[in-house]
Amino acid sequence: MSKLASNEYYDLVRTTNWTPRYVDEAELFPEMMSGARGIPAEAWETFDEPYKVTYSDYVATQREKDAGAYSVKAALERANYIDSADPGWVSTLQAHYGALAVAEFAAATAEARMARFSRAPGNRNMATFGMLDEMRHGQIQLFFPHEHTKRSRQWDWAHKAMHTNEWAAVAARHMFDDMMFTRDSVSVAIMLTFAFETGFTNMQFLGLAADAAEAGDHTFASLISSIQTDESRHAQQGGPVLKILIENGKKDEAQKMIDVIFWRAWKLFSVLTGPILDYYTPLEHRKQSFKEFMQEWIIGQFERQLNDLGLDLPWYWDEFVRALDETHHGMHMGVWFWRPTVWWNPAAGASPEEREWLESKYPGWNATFGRCWDVITENLQKGREELTLPETLPTICNMCNLPVVGTPGDGWNVKDYQLVHEGRLYHFGSEVDRWCFEQDPARYQGHMSVVDRFLAGEIQPQNLAGALLYMSLNPGEIGVDAHNYAWAGVGKQSHAAE
Amino acid sequence: MSAAPEPLKPLKTWSHLADRRKRPSEYDIVSTRLHYRRRDPNAPWELDPNLPMNDWYRKYCNESPLKHPDWDLFQDPDQLVYRTYNILQDGQEAYVGGLFDQFSDRGHDEMISREWIATLASFFAPARYLYHGLQMGSAYVAQMAPASTITACLYLQSADSLRWVTHTAYRTVELSKAQPDLGFGKDERKHWENDPQWQGFRRLLEEGLIVWDWAEAFVVFNLVLKPAVEEALLGVLADAARSNGDTLYSLLSQAQMRDAERHRRWASRLVEMAMTVESNKDWLRARVADWTPRAEVAIADYCKALGEAEAGARAIERMHAFQRGLGLRD
Ligand SMILES: [Fe+2]
Ligand SMILES: [Fe+2]
Repeated sequence: MSKLASNEYYDLVRTTNWTPRYVDEAELFPEMMSGARGIPAEAWETFDEPYKVTYSDYVATQREKDAGAYSVKAALERANYIDSADPGWVSTLQAHYGALAVAEFAAATAEARMARFSRAPGNRNMATFGMLDEMRHGQIQLFFPHEHTKRSRQWDWAHKAMHTNEWAAVAARHMFDDMMFTRDSVSVAIMLTFAFETGFTNMQFLGLAADAAEAGDHTFASLISSIQTDESRHAQQGGPVLKILIENGKKDEAQKMIDVIFWRAWKLFSVLTGPILDYYTPLEHRKQSFKEFMQEWIIGQFERQLNDLGLDLPWYWDEFVRALDETHHGMHMGVWFWRPTVWWNPAAGASPEEREWLESKYPGWNATFGRCWDVITENLQKGREELTLPETLPTICNMCNLPVVGTPGDGWNVKDYQLVHEGRLYHFGSEVDRWCFEQDPARYQGHMSVVDRFLAGEIQPQNLAGALLYMSLNPGEIGVDAHNYAWAGVGKQSHAAE
Repeated sequence: MSAAPEPLKPLKTWSHLADRRKRPSEYDIVSTRLHYRRRDPNAPWELDPNLPMNDWYRKYCNESPLKHPDWDLFQDPDQLVYRTYNILQDGQEAYVGGLFDQFSDRGHDEMISREWIATLASFFAPARYLYHGLQMGSAYVAQMAPASTITACLYLQSADSLRWVTHTAYRTVELSKAQPDLGFGKDERKHWENDPQWQGFRRLLEEGLIVWDWAEAFVVFNLVLKPAVEEALLGVLADAARSNGDTLYSLLSQAQMRDAERHRRWASRLVEMAMTVESNKDWLRARVADWTPRAEVAIADYCKALGEAEAGARAIERMHAFQRGLGLRD
């Protein structure tokens, strides 16, 4: 064959920096969008992506990947797996799609930020493919759930959620917008691709794919593992950017970006992924606990990657490792208790067998979180459902926009970390959340959490009905217990909520 | 939750599509109304409303002089989604790869004159920079456009430009093997930065890349610069190639023109949609009138240096005809 090998022309494809003459370099790459931090173009030109792909490779490979994922879906569509799936698994899918499909389409914006504003030509090209990848993830994760809209209005939230003021959507937007849409190209490379995509997306997509395969949901398993193959390619943009920053004396700045966003990602996963893996997924299909997945994907791999680059573990690492036994259990209880305010039906996951599993994975669970579930179980058994439903407002953290949680029981440690900044009192769920805020108050200070809005009278009427209206949640969409309290030994197990 | 109204009934599609009569296509399902940053015009991003990036999106997207009550009604006339784009372009790449292969087997570059290859060194290989600039420009407009359906067209357009960059780099290496002493793979930046044939395009590109308003940037790239580049490089240069026995470049440029025609189709549809709002007409015509003279200079300078001044005049006329067809010039 006389065709050139790609390594013969690859370097030319990424030799595209020129010196502008008709406009200023600083105008062409505004600091706010590029974030070159005074590092000269020649240094950025050393950017070398570990995963190299050409345009023709890209379209060929991606065509095949899509053919695979779409044909699995088509082949299994008639089997109507979803109709016989455990309601907890249905909730898993609804929470996943609502929080991620539209957000992934948006993620292409962050890739486009790098494609236009990065000073490194290799980064601009890889981000061009990354842009297409995220377009894929948005579109395919809308196409797959769409067939279920006929089953219940909760499926509508695969498209709808991110456009609403539903509290979990607000929290997700606050985190995603902070991480990838309001940052310069260099920060995007570090915060989105390095800190988030190398570890956390792996967790969500491979962890969940493992459970999906166990649960027999081959459509979903093949979908999200296919997505992950794209993530693991475009996630590799952060490493070379970090290397350049460190070589040019910007290690501290890089470290801080990682520390801020790693914590934020952890908090979001504690409410999204934690409950899914440890409570919603039917017991017999749980491959590993959330904590075990975190240990494998985050602690093991992320630690190694930081080390390889000469970076440090975030300063709060001990607190993070400690919180692996706590935060997501609290988040889960909060979501379940406030179930009318989410678009899926939370599965309590607190039957006697499930509690046994939780105790084995999280020794001490029964004596802490279990005690709260004891009270809930007893109330349900005595027909006092109203006591298991919300009447008051939680305290919401002004950083993660999630409820302030901790470990109940004898070691009760729930604490509101406060800060007065320019005359306003802010609440935080942890010292680290407060620290994140303090690193750049101007980014966050004017934002109102959903509870702030409620207290300011922006949500009317000022009751649960008004809050649901504000969150665009109507009957037929609002969450109920996924198993109609069967886990508590009450009534008969019902199917997914109408 | 007392006196709860009737639960909402399941629908056959997304609620935002349910009112329409027709059954939603794959395109509708996966492309429409995705930009959540458009939900609150005052705070595109869920952070401090006064954050500079919130200002940026308010100013350059939400408050753009180009207005439409519902940009989300825009539809790509080709209805491409990610899945079908890859199928389309994988086929196109197989075709171009086949061309490269066959012409190389036939010893094409040994059969064309050294003189013509020297022309390619100055007039073709440096286009890598120009095409990359188009890639960057499209990526910008994509991140700023007011509807996901517009953004999606621009993502694909940006990737198509990277496709052209890649073809150009590929041919640059092949030509360097045929004529190793003509500076292929080494001198392109010098040509691009200094040679008179590129300065018109370079000026328009650099100035276009700092237009931050999404709609004006769309005008510069899709209605002025790209048509100019296409008429000169895929038109005039391809004709010159043909008369110099370079069938390969002529076929390559035709293949790239398929992409360009698709870009013009969606851009035309968007202009058509914008022109339904009376106040947009003058604004669009004024913007086109403002930017087009720079494109005329770019085409004329390029073609003159190539020794194709007359063909350049016809290329300018073709660019005008495209704009005229859209009602953007008399
Ligand atoms: Fe993604
Ligand atoms: Fe990604």
